[in-house]
Amino acid sequence: MTDFMEISPGRHHRKRLYLSCMLWFFGRAVQAAARVDDGVKSEFAAMPDNFTFCLGAFPSGPYMVVGKDSLGRVRHLGSSIADRTIHLHMMFKNPALLFRVFSFQESTPVANARNRLYVHGDVPQACAVVRIMDMVQVFLLPKFLAKRAVKRYPAWPLKRRTLVRAQVYVRAFAGL
Amino acid sequence: MVIPDYYEFGSRTHIMAGYDALEQIPGLLSSMDAQNPMVITDQGVSRAGLVDILLQALDSRITIKTIQDDVPADSDLITVHTLAGQYRKYGCNAIIALGGGSVMDTAKGVNILVSASSDNLLAFSGANALTHALNPLVAVPTTAGTGSEVTRVAVISDPDNLRKLLFTSGFLMPDAAVLDPRMTLTLPAPVTAATAMDALSHAVEACLCLGRNPLSTAHAHEAIALISQHLLPVILQPDHKPGRLALATGAALAGMAFSNSMVGMVHTLGHSVGSVCHAPHGTCMAVLLPYGMAYNLHKTQPLLADLLLPMAGADVYARTPPADRAQKAIDWVNRMNQRLHQVTAGAHAVCLREMKSQDGKSLVPGHLLPKIAHTALGDGSIFYNPEDLDYDDCLMVLEAAFNGAPLDLSRVKKG
Ligand SMILES: [Fe+2]
Repeated sequence: MTDFMEISPGRHHRKRLYLSCMLWFFGRAVQAAARVDDGVKSEFAAMPDNFTFCLGAFPSGPYMVVGKDSLGRVRHLGSSIADRTIHLHMMFKNPALLFRVFSFQESTPVANARNRLYVHGDVPQACAVVRIMDMVQVFLLPKFLAKRAVKRYPAWPLKRRTLVRAQVYVRAFAGL
Repeated sequence: MVIPDYYEFGSRTHIMAGYDALEQIPGLLSSMDAQNPMVITDQGVSRAGLVDILLQALDSRITIKTIQDDVPADSDLITVHTLAGQYRKYGCNAIIALGGGSVMDTAKGVNILVSASSDNLLAFSGANALTHALNPLVAVPTTAGTGSEVTRVAVISDPDNLRKLLFTSGFLMPDAAVLDPRMTLTLPAPVTAATAMDALSHAVEACLCLGRNPLSTAHAHEAIALISQHLLPVILQPDHKPGRLALATGAALAGMAFSNSMVGMVHTLGHSVGSVCHAPHGTCMAVLLPYGMAYNLHKTQPLLADLLLPMAGADVYARTPPADRAQKAIDWVNRMNQRLHQVTAGAHAVCLREMKSQDGKSLVPGHLLPKIAHTALGDGSIFYNPEDLDYDDCLMVLEAAFNGAPLDLSRVKKG
C-alpha cells in the first residue's frame, strides 16, 4: 500500500502492466470456463443475452470486460470500456486496491466488506459474477493462493480438478 | 479484537432519547429552519393513537402541513411518488417519519425525490447514487427493531418488476432519531419479541460478518446487552417505560452497527423467506439467527465466544470454560426464542414451519424451501457472511430451520 503511494513511475508502470496482464488472462479464462465447465456455464445461463460486465479500477482502469453476445455465447471483450453499454460495473476505488486483490493480499469478499469497490448494477447478477470469479480463480490458481482469494476452497470432483482445469488453461492461452 | 487493515464507520444521526423526547421535536425543527413538516405514518400507528400522542407533544408549536397515514406494510414506489406529490402540494420543508421500518424507508424515498426535485426514484437506487444532502428528516420509530432511524439504507419495493430496490448512501441517515418509550408501550408482545430479535440479529451479525470493525462491534455489544437484559421483562410488563427505552436504545445501537458492517446469512435467508412467502422480517430473523451463528461457528469461534458476555452476563461468562462460550451463546439465543414462545402463548415461532399468518394459515410451506434457497443466492448480504454458501448450503440450513432441528455441523463444508 505505502510503496504504491510513492511517486515512482517505474514501479507504478510495472504494477499497472501486471494488473493489465492478469485481467487480460483472467478474462480469457472466464470465456474458456464458460465453454467447458458446467458450474460457470450454469451461472452464465441465468444471465440475459447481450449482458456485459466490467471489472476494473477507477478512474482509468485497467479494465476487464466480459459479456454474452446475442447468441448467448460468453466472450472476453478486451480491456476497453469505451463505446460499450456495460450493465454491471465492479470497480475498485483505485488501482492500488485492485492490486491488493490480484496480488492475493486481500480476498474479494473482504475488499467488498471494506468498502473498497463500487458495484453498480443488478445485485443478483453481481452475486453470480462473484461466484463465477471464485470458480475461475480456483481453476487458475494453485490451492495455497486460491485459498486466500475465496472464502472456502471447494471440494471439486477429480475430473473438474484435472481435465476441466487443463481445458480452461489451454483455451485461455489459445483464446478459444 | 483484531483491528482490520482498513475500515470505515459513519453515523451522523442525532439521537434524542428519553421520556420527553417527542417534546424536543419543535426545537429541533426550528434549529434546522424547517417548521413546516409533513408527517408520514401508517394506519396501524394511527389507530394505536400514536399520532395523537405526537401531536399533543408538539403542542402546536410547529405547523404540521399534512399527515399522510397510508403507507402499506411493504413500502413501494407508488406510495413514495404519491407522498412526494403531497409534500410539494402542501409546501412542506421537512418530514417526520412516525412508524416502523416500512414508514421510515418510505420517508427516506420521499425525501430523495423532494430534495432532488425529481420524479424518478429509480435513478437513485443502488449504492451511493446520492450526491447531495437531503431535506430535514426526523425519524420516530414505533418499534424497537429495524434500526432504520439511524441507518444509511432504505428498501423500497418495485411492484411492477417484483423486486426490492436497495438504496444506500450516507445522506439517507435521518437528521435525528427520536426514541420515546411512549411510542412502543402498546406494542403487542409478539411484535415486541420479533422486532427485538431482528435488532439482536443486526447486532450479532455486525459482530460476526466480514465488515466488522472496532466501532461497529462496540455498538453491537452494547445493543446485545440492552436487548438481552430487557426483552423478557418488557414482554412480561409491557408498560415498563425504562425497559422500553432500553430496547429502543438497543435497536438504534444495533442499527448503527450493521449500517456500517452490514449483515450476513441470517438476513440473506431471512430476506428470501420474506420475499417468497411474505413472512414478517422479525420472526424470520428470530428463527434463523441461531442457525446463522452455528453455520459460521468454525470461522468465528472467538467472536461468538465474546458475545456470551453481553448476552448472558458476567457470571455465566466467567463460569463457562472459554472453549464452550461460543456454543453457549448459540444455546442462549435458542433458549431466548423458547422463552419468548412460552410467554407469548406460542405466538413467537421457533421454527419456520410454525410461522402462521393472522388467520392461522401456515406462512412458509415446505415445498417453497428450494425457491427460497435459490432467491438467497441473489441477495447482496451473502457477500458479507464469513463462510461461503451455495444452493445446497442454503437449503440445508432452511430445512433445519423449517423443522426446528439443530444444524448438523458435520454437514457444514469447510474449505
Ligand atoms: Fe433486519
